[in-house]
Amino acid sequence: MRKNLIKIIKKWRQEKEYQKKIAELKKRDPFNYKNF
Amino acid sequence: MVQLGISAFYHDSAACLVVNGQVMAAAEEERFTGIKHDDSFPINAIKYCLEEGRIKLADIKEVCWYEKPKKKEERVYKIFNKRPLRTLFLRFKAKKRFKEQNPFLVLKSIGYKGRVKFVDHHRSHTNFSYYTSPYKEAAILTIDGVGEFETITISKGQGNNITKVHSINFPHSLGMLYSTITSFLGFKPNEGEYKVMGLAPYGDPSRYYEKLNKLFKGSGSNLYLLQRYFTWEYSDQVMFNKRLYRLLELPPRLPEEPVIQDHMDLAAALQKIYEREFIYLVKKSKELTGTTNLCLGGGCAYNGVANALAYKYFDSVHIPFAPSDAGSAIGACLKKHTKVSPYLGPNFTNKQVHKVLAKYKDKLQYFKLSEKKLITKTAQLLNAQNIIGWFQGRMEFGARALGNRSILASPRHPMMRERLNQIIKKREGFRPFAPSVPKEEANKFFDMKEDIPYMNQVVKGKTVLIPSATHVDATCRVQTVTEEQNPIYYKLLHEVGGMCNIPVLLNTSFNLKDQTITLNPDQAIKRFLESRINFLVINNFLIKKK
Repeated sequence: MRKNLIKIIKKWRQEKEYQKKIAELKKRDPFNYKNF
Repeated sequence: MVQLGISAFYHDSAACLVVNGQVMAAAEEERFTGIKHDDSFPINAIKYCLEEGRIKLADIKEVCWYEKPKKKEERVYKIFNKRPLRTLFLRFKAKKRFKEQNPFLVLKSIGYKGRVKFVDHHRSHTNFSYYTSPYKEAAILTIDGVGEFETITISKGQGNNITKVHSINFPHSLGMLYSTITSFLGFKPNEGEYKVMGLAPYGDPSRYYEKLNKLFKGSGSNLYLLQRYFTWEYSDQVMFNKRLYRLLELPPRLPEEPVIQDHMDLAAALQKIYEREFIYLVKKSKELTGTTNLCLGGGCAYNGVANALAYKYFDSVHIPFAPSDAGSAIGACLKKHTKVSPYLGPNFTNKQVHKVLAKYKDKLQYFKLSEKKLITKTAQLLNAQNIIGWFQGRMEFGARALGNRSILASPRHPMMRERLNQIIKKREGFRPFAPSVPKEEANKFFDMKEDIPYMNQVVKGKTVLIPSATHVDATCRVQTVTEEQNPIYYKLLHEVGGMCNIPVLLNTSFNLKDQTITLNPDQAIKRFLESRINFLVINNFLIKKK
């Protein structure tokens, strides 16, 4: 139970970190790709 | 017949002047604006082309536009219609952009009122690749991000006729897949792909191969990319979504973050996947056309590692000097085979150079030498491990410096690559440099099937004598030089060879970090002064800092 909880928290933290990175990338103009 | 070829508003805007089927001048807009891969209307490149041809805009009989904007607009709205609400804002943005970029209006604003011919995006690539090849019959394979609808085409060229035999449409795009992973790895899409290619040999492809494979449903001629991992159809921002990093179990890299083994492994897997798909397409091209020659076009034809694999199915492979959208400005104009040199840009006389040098006389010392003395002296300096800025004749067209706007160095010293990467070009240490070699000497140093005049194939090195020109996997992106192609550079290579028995030079584009390739003598001198390049050669002038 405790192990599972740690796992879930770890995954949640990781997800948060990844999302932060994507938000950061969105702000940066050179990373915008024109598909039209 | 005077034609003006234009590619604009996507990336690598360029213009060219074609008179009676002969390409007289061509240049990319980025060289004039200093903005890498500039996508704006190439007004400066057009001005240069007209000046070079000594003609006025009114003399142009036909403007050849490298793609069909109406067809492209149709594709964009068709894709947006899949998600009308999600793409509502983007639809307005696209509408505004298409209106502003209407070729008729833009051309009218510069005073052109004549005929405009629109050529399919991939047909422009096909034309440029096939009509500049030496073949009378060939398969033509074009791979890029996206044109109007198509992302990949296979055509058959016979004489001056080209017939399309197969195509794959958006969103199933190998080019966009490569760009997506490029941005995932923290490099700019449409620019950093060659960095990913350079990074790949440092990695282990097996770690991410199966994961990347999950992006596909089918492969090769039935290429199908699962869109659930990408945002191409509804966003013009980050090209991937959270499903991709969940699949890879790796966070996207920000540009300022260090490159770690995970990134190298992902780059290696991507390159392996690309090569697998490329081979499928090459095989399909062979089956559909039954020819022994292959022409490659589209931005993906810069993938020199994959290009070399085409020899598995074809005896001869031609890749033009600017296979991406810049070359399409020329391709849109061509209707038959034409010999085109890559040296199509501005040229400067000794008198003009001297005038510029006079402005810097308090900072520079310069000597005007005869061609023979200049070559001897430069070769001596190169052999003494000096780094030379080399500026001669007309500027190259395309992404590669082919010996007219180059930084040259000797590849014999193992530290030279690091010196060039870190001190001169201030770029990532993993990136390799290309060696130039006289055509007749090439087989002594490299395992080659054919000449590679435009540095667009990667081959195995045969020697340990040129460590700085050899990548970590013992490969080299070679340029073979002939006297006909570039006489002075050819003589310099031989002179260097005469002194040390290795007629090979490291050749990298004449620019510093994040700059475009040098356009004129003034720019060359400024860059020389702000860098640690040891000597500069412009035409007949040998220049050193005071």
